[in-house]
Amino acid sequence: MKPFSSLLPILFFAGMAILPLLAGDYYQGVGFQLLMWIALTQSWVLLSGFTGYISLGHAVFYGLGGYLTVLTWHIVPLPLAIPLSGLVAALFAGLIGYPVMRVRGPYFVILTFGLAELVKYIVINVEAALGKFGRLMMGAPGLSTLYWVMLALAVAATLLVVLVGRSRFGAGLRAIREDEPAAETVGVPTARYKLGAYALSAAIPGMVGGLAALRTSYFEPQQIFSPTISFTVVTMAMIGGSDRARGPLMGALFLVLLSELLWANLAELYMIILGLLLIGFVLFAPSGIDGLLRRRFGR
Amino acid sequence: MDLLLSPQLLAAALIAGALYALVALGLNLIYGTMRLLNVAHGELVMVGSYVASWSFSLLGLGPWPALVLSPVAAGLLGYGLYRGLFRRLLANPALSQRIEANSLLLFFGISIILQNLVSLLFTATPRGYQPFGGAVIDLGVASVTGGRLLVLVVAGIVTVAAMLLLRFNTVGLAVKALIQNREAASLAGIDTEKLERWSFIAGFAVAGLAGALVSMVEQVSPFMGFPYMIAAFVIIILGGLGNLTGSLIGGLILGLLETYGVALTSPNYRSILVYGVFIAVLLIRPQGLLGRTRIVR
Repeated sequence: MKPFSSLLPILFFAGMAILPLLAGDYYQGVGFQLLMWIALTQSWVLLSGFTGYISLGHAVFYGLGGYLTVLTWHIVPLPLAIPLSGLVAALFAGLIGYPVMRVRGPYFVILTFGLAELVKYIVINVEAALGKFGRLMMGAPGLSTLYWVMLALAVAATLLVVLVGRSRFGAGLRAIREDEPAAETVGVPTARYKLGAYALSAAIPGMVGGLAALRTSYFEPQQIFSPTISFTVVTMAMIGGSDRARGPLMGALFLVLLSELLWANLAELYMIILGLLLIGFVLFAPSGIDGLLRRRFGR
Repeated sequence: MDLLLSPQLLAAALIAGALYALVALGLNLIYGTMRLLNVAHGELVMVGSYVASWSFSLLGLGPWPALVLSPVAAGLLGYGLYRGLFRRLLANPALSQRIEANSLLLFFGISIILQNLVSLLFTATPRGYQPFGGAVIDLGVASVTGGRLLVLVVAGIVTVAAMLLLRFNTVGLAVKALIQNREAASLAGIDTEKLERWSFIAGFAVAGLAGALVSMVEQVSPFMGFPYMIAAFVIIILGGLGNLTGSLIGGLILGLLETYGVALTSPNYRSILVYGVFIAVLLIRPQGLLGRTRIVR
């Protein structure tokens, strides 16, 4: 089972790579969404899955990345603007990370949430002061170009989770999750590791946000900083199973397919089912789909 | 400057503060006793508002019965959820080890279910009504509508009564003991399971009552709960998690801050102000501005 299970993500991404050759615009759009959620959820796992510091405000990095791409639109060429968006999001995380990562448990959860909302309202006010109420981005690259870049990001995020998971750094982060004072005692540089995980997990949403802004070719702070994004990421990680690379793949796939089935005509029903699933997984399958499969088929 | 000294503004700040304190009271009761992070608290306010709005406009009952019907409806919802979900969470050692994260996710699920269920059944259209025919009452120094006066009086009485109860009544003292140390409370012969069940129900009922009051001054819609949930979290961070007196003071501080802050600057800055204070307090004093009692894990 073991070699097969590590083959799974490779097969999955290979499938996603041939999708644009077979499918039309609609399915490419769905594929883009799926890859976007995978990248976001993997980046969330880097921080929250490994360290147990549950971030409820990952939308802040996504939004900042999107905003930067919009601000530099037609000023900085895109191949530079997208990495720059990731860099700025990571820098922002590095800057606020030291005080933020000292806050623990439930306080951390609501702090990250509040932080995302604060940044959202600051951007809304900045935009209002500039007299901008939404920006259109004319001449953004087509869907297939964006698709390939998003695929690369999703693969990179997945690889990052695999590599960090196997590294000394990853072991340190897991030790922080299990018992932070004990980890500190045995010599894990907890403060530096947490800061590193925070900045690392911010870079990918920054770039994803830039791409998402290009995809909609419209920017509106209320939307791009929406708390729904943070919540969806947490739900996907929970449903998939959260501290290895396969979990987010399954969680994102499951929810994107579900939303495709229901969203178009029954948005409210989709949300209700989402809520029921979340409750069901927390109470009856806390290790997610990944955990269920592992129990069913051995490792 | 005249604006700042106006009793009218002070009245507005007090009304907002009393309502906030009441909303935070329920959240704090549930967090303090069980360490459950109720992110669906705003949705309970919403449910209370809908019940009040129906009892007023569909049943034609006037504003008073809502003060009983809304808390009863929310309390029943609390009872159902406790029996169905949270007793399982609290009893399972593996789940309750990460109780804050797990409860947050459960309540988040409940929150989106409630929002969308209400929206599916009754549409997302905001609705409103005027209790007391919108009559304005002159208090001498300031005039307020009947609805707003009712908010001030009821929220004030309930919050103060809850604090007195916790200070001077045996059950209240038991709740305080539970907040301070669950194991010790259990050893002292307190039936913690029963007490938790009732705290849970009471927390929900208080939120329902707050909802009935909100519906008398604001429009009712399926997605109205969110700002109240945020306000309640800001307040219990200000006052210290599990500290009920702190949440009353925190509510008043937030009401004053918001009303005067907006009057001094612009309504656009309202959210920046609220979240800015919130984050500053969390970063400087994560145990709450007034928090002294550490919650024993």
